Amino acid sequence: MIIQARNVTVEFGGAAVLDGVDLAAGRGEIVAVVGENGTGKSTLLRCLAGLQPPAAGEIGVLDRPPADEPGFWRDVVLVGDEPAWYPGLTVLEHLELMASVHGGSRLGAEEALESFGLAGRRDMAPPAMSTGQRQRLSLAMALLRPSRVLLLDEPERGLDAAFRARLASILTAYATAGGTVVLATHDPGLARAAGARFIVLEAA
Amino acid sequence: MKAVVRGERMGWTDRYALVFGTTVALLLLAPFVQDALTGLGHQADPVRAGAGLALLGFLYAGYLASARAFGPVALPAADAAWLLLSPLSRRRVLARPALVLLGVAVAGGLALGVSLLAVLGAPPGRTALLVAAALVLGVSATVGGTAVAVLAQAADPWDGWLRLGILAVVVAAVLAALLSGPAGRLAQAVPASLGAALVAACAVAAALAVRLAWARLGRIHARDLLAASTRLDRVATATTMLDPGTLTWIAEDAHWRGRALRSRRWPGLPAPLALAWHDWRRLGRRPGRLAVLLASAALPALAVRAAGGVAPVAVALVAAGALAATASCTVGARRDADDPALARLSGVAPRAALAARALLPALVGGLWLALALAGLAAADGLPGGPWWPLALPAAPALAAGALRMARRPPVDHTMPVVTTPAGPLPTGPTLWALTGADLALLGCLPTLQALLAPSTSLGPTLVAQAGTGTAVLVLYLWRARTR
Repeated sequence: MIIQARNVTVEFGGAAVLDGVDLAAGRGEIVAVVGENGTGKSTLLRCLAGLQPPAAGEIGVLDRPPADEPGFWRDVVLVGDEPAWYPGLTVLEHLELMASVHGGSRLGAEEALESFGLAGRRDMAPPAMSTGQRQRLSLAMALLRPSRVLLLDEPERGLDAAFRARLASILTAYATAGGTVVLATHDPGLARAAGARFIVLEAA
Repeated sequence: MKAVVRGERMGWTDRYALVFGTTVALLLLAPFVQDALTGLGHQADPVRAGAGLALLGFLYAGYLASARAFGPVALPAADAAWLLLSPLSRRRVLARPALVLLGVAVAGGLALGVSLLAVLGAPPGRTALLVAAALVLGVSATVGGTAVAVLAQAADPWDGWLRLGILAVVVAAVLAALLSGPAGRLAQAVPASLGAALVAACAVAAALAVRLAWARLGRIHARDLLAASTRLDRVATATTMLDPGTLTWIAEDAHWRGRALRSRRWPGLPAPLALAWHDWRRLGRRPGRLAVLLASAALPALAVRAAGGVAPVAVALVAAGALAATASCTVGARRDADDPALARLSGVAPRAALAARALLPALVGGLWLALALAGLAAADGLPGGPWWPLALPAAPALAAGALRMARRPPVDHTMPVVTTPAGPLPTGPTLWALTGADLALLGCLPTLQALLAPSTSLGPTLVAQAGTGTAVLVLYLWRARTR
């Protein structure tokens, strides 16, 4: 298994957010974590990324406990709920920066621009773009760089319906190439289109 | 004050607060005014007068630029949302903020007038006349300038004139700085009749500008007012929350939102340097800002000329300026500290990234300090020399301080307020403000000590500075929290 979480429990202020959650994802698999607001989807993703230590349970990612350190982030990508960018750089430069720091990339910067519908925005600074376009840039940076595990927190946020369908096919291609995807989502259509296995969380 | 500004009926507590606040303000300002007035009765040294005029010119240009940047007419956010887009007369809605603006301009003008007097001095026998003339000139300059800024907010052609005016003031200040002796003599040699005519002309021009601005007040576009009000609201929120870091992000995002950029190829560098290249590219995209930054290195020399020697104020200007110049090149580190998402995505080891990100701040901070020290020496403020080589070993300490400043957490408002003889001291904001400056001061201690007690033999200072500067940066990188 690439990701193995057993009996994960997380408490905030004495209240359980996750209570004995199990999750397993193998190589080439896409897992969609769904559930109502407040059921702990983002918290589970943060646990898998090593950003939230669980109160109880065991988590293994790539056969080791997840940790917020460079070695871990060279294999694992987390796309959070808010797009991030560096001030003063264009869309294309963000993509080239990501390819440069990793010494290679899964996609070329120009190819990523086309795939993520950003070709017309190549010279724009992210603050001048819409929320959806900034989300596309975040996803493009995440999928351009080499990785083995992709953790996506509500990747559909701000995206139009047509691009959600394209994102599903991009995720499917990533998994087909051997990557593992865990996404927390409120869009079952996106998850189904990507061929994801569902895990439903309920309020603890 | 809120009741006064909003035109609400004042209760006795409001009146008490107003009287008490005014009294305290007068008591605090009295020593400065007294200092300025006791300096009268004699003619100031022309070189010092010229340098002082240059400093006042830069301050006035900064005032006009701020007025232009912040509106200047703006409403509280709620008023902007509800009153601006209603059938109410726009001039009536804007009358109160305009009056507040006028009050601010008059207060600024009085301060400018008093400073002008302190800089130029006044020969015996003409004191009363010169005091009146300086105050009228100062108030005319700020009120007139603010009125033109209001006109610029209402119509684009006026914005062009305002920008031209700011440029003219800056050029005049630069000339006064370069030719401080002749400039001071020229200002002091203006005949009384010509001076009176100039002051009267300024007052008439300011009155005309105010009249025009009042007439155009109702024609300021709602879009511009909403933008200014949003800016003001964000500034007020950031100020009341004591989170000045937010202000810089507002300015940064606003700058890039309106810019058309052209992508350039990312250089093939080792991963930490490739990540740090962002700061270099950002700096290269703002050449005007870089030029202003480097030009500001002349301010300590001006202060030395105006004060007639190296004063603690000039040393403080050197320290603050060098740290500010260095800190302006640490945006990447600040962004990653505020939101580590991209740092995680890059997968670069934090310590290596931090070391790579220290290069540009060290270069810019060192360059600024070298220029400032060369300027001080050229202004005859420092003996012996050359002093500028001290900047090289001080640069690593400046970079360490700036990086520490960039990565400091937000103000901790849960920290206690300590009672001191000078009044209550909120430790949270104080510690926040000192974080970063502490390290830079510690690392630059030999240079600062040499500036405060100048000596002709700089060899030991250079060696000591090389030791502390390198040690501070190495220790900071070694001990820096990496997540």
